[in-house]
Amino acid sequence: MAKLLKKEFRLFTHPTSWMFLAFGAMVLIPGYPMYVPLFWVTLGLFYACLSARENNDLYYTLLLPVRKRDAVRARGLYFALMELLQLLVCAVFAVLRMALKIGPNPAGMDANLAFFGLGLILMGLFNLLFLPRLYKKPSAVGKPFLIVTLLVFAYIVAAEVCCFVVPFFRDVLDTPDPQHLGAKLAVLALGATLFVLLTVLGVRRAEEIFEKVDL
Amino acid sequence: MAEKVLEIRGLCKDYPAFHLKDVSFSLERGRIMGFIGRNGAGKTTTLKSALNIVHPAAGELKYFGLDFAENELEIKRRIAFVSGGANYYPNKKLAAITAVTRSFYGHWDEAAYRRYLKLFNLDESKTPKALSAGMQVKYALALALSHGAELLILDEPTSGLDPVSRDELVDVFLSLADEGVSILFSTHITDDLDKCADDVTYIRNGEIVFSLPIGELREKYCAVAVTAEQAEKYADKLIGCKRAKEGFTALVERGELEEELPGRAAGLEEIMVHLDKEARDDG
Repeated sequence: MAKLLKKEFRLFTHPTSWMFLAFGAMVLIPGYPMYVPLFWVTLGLFYACLSARENNDLYYTLLLPVRKRDAVRARGLYFALMELLQLLVCAVFAVLRMALKIGPNPAGMDANLAFFGLGLILMGLFNLLFLPRLYKKPSAVGKPFLIVTLLVFAYIVAAEVCCFVVPFFRDVLDTPDPQHLGAKLAVLALGATLFVLLTVLGVRRAEEIFEKVDL
Repeated sequence: MAEKVLEIRGLCKDYPAFHLKDVSFSLERGRIMGFIGRNGAGKTTTLKSALNIVHPAAGELKYFGLDFAENELEIKRRIAFVSGGANYYPNKKLAAITAVTRSFYGHWDEAAYRRYLKLFNLDESKTPKALSAGMQVKYALALALSHGAELLILDEPTSGLDPVSRDELVDVFLSLADEGVSILFSTHITDDLDKCADDVTYIRNGEIVFSLPIGELREKYCAVAVTAEQAEKYADKLIGCKRAKEGFTALVERGELEEELPGRAAGLEEIMVHLDKEARDDG
């Protein structure tokens, strides 16, 4: 798995992925939807998949001494690592935002611990929905990404609307840290659990599908 | 009895407009097998199915006596599949592709890799895109040969190569076979097989027509040139009779019409063309 992961970083990664990671700095914008930087990482993954298709990546990979399911597993792990890296970059800028006393975010959710929990759920949903679709027909990358982006966007809209209309979100979760720390840590833990669970489910489903796919 | 490095039994694959039907053949250590058939006959599908790149509907695959499904990793370490050239990561430098590929093989032979780079005149600072089709094949072969593959499965390795490069590759194949490496390669350039193959497997419409040592095949048929009258007179004995620049040509089984129609040794191309014509005539 380590060799495959190394291959993902050396050959699969699209250069824009590193640039999109830097977009985590958007967390510093005073009034801005905080979920947008998380969308950028998925766009980087999409570009990598698009580029992989043009580079015959799957074909190259399957000629190596690896099983089909190992190739899918490594890709899922790579997705998860890039997403966590994006969240980490966002976290660094969220701390900086606090230090700079930029204040609450009027455009939606604050970049606080609960946001990262909800962000982890978003990333997990992306993996669950995108990976099986990606491996169902590896030659078609755009359509799955479009469908999944719309679904993820619906999640973002729902999460942001909740910050304005649902009292628990508005009064407890969408508050500056360290207020309501217990509830926010619970959301973060739930997010981390769901991220792992949804990603594993997405990878397993993609493995089953890819095993029957002809290249 | 020589060790069988590859055994394919009852391989089937169904597509809406094409069916691979009960494909079976085997290859022994140190032998070169040509896998021939016209375009669309099922050569690539068979080879890809043999590596699970295409998911077969049924069939048994054994390499070195080991079941493929249960020993996929070990088997993949001992074999190499080259399809066309290095048609992956066209904009990455060869050095970068090699660095990743090398890491997957614990028994990578760097000295052999350097030797093949020199032999094939390959520059690692180039990208696959900058290489000709022939050089791409050579690079793919250099990778395959540097991890000590005992069995090379090559899909159309000499297509798109100039005659000199093809001849060089044939020389490489012969040297490898001398070292005990087995080679299965699909091609429709039968001249290459005439120079190096020990066995020939012929596939038509997804079915294996024969899988024989090339010597047996040559003993089985001879080629004849006939006039229109002879073509009509001996129609039931002539195999795949077809127009030629002057008159007609066909195959006959050795022992048949030897006095009436003296034949000559048939080349692989003639055998393939006439057998295919015969099959089409039969319906």
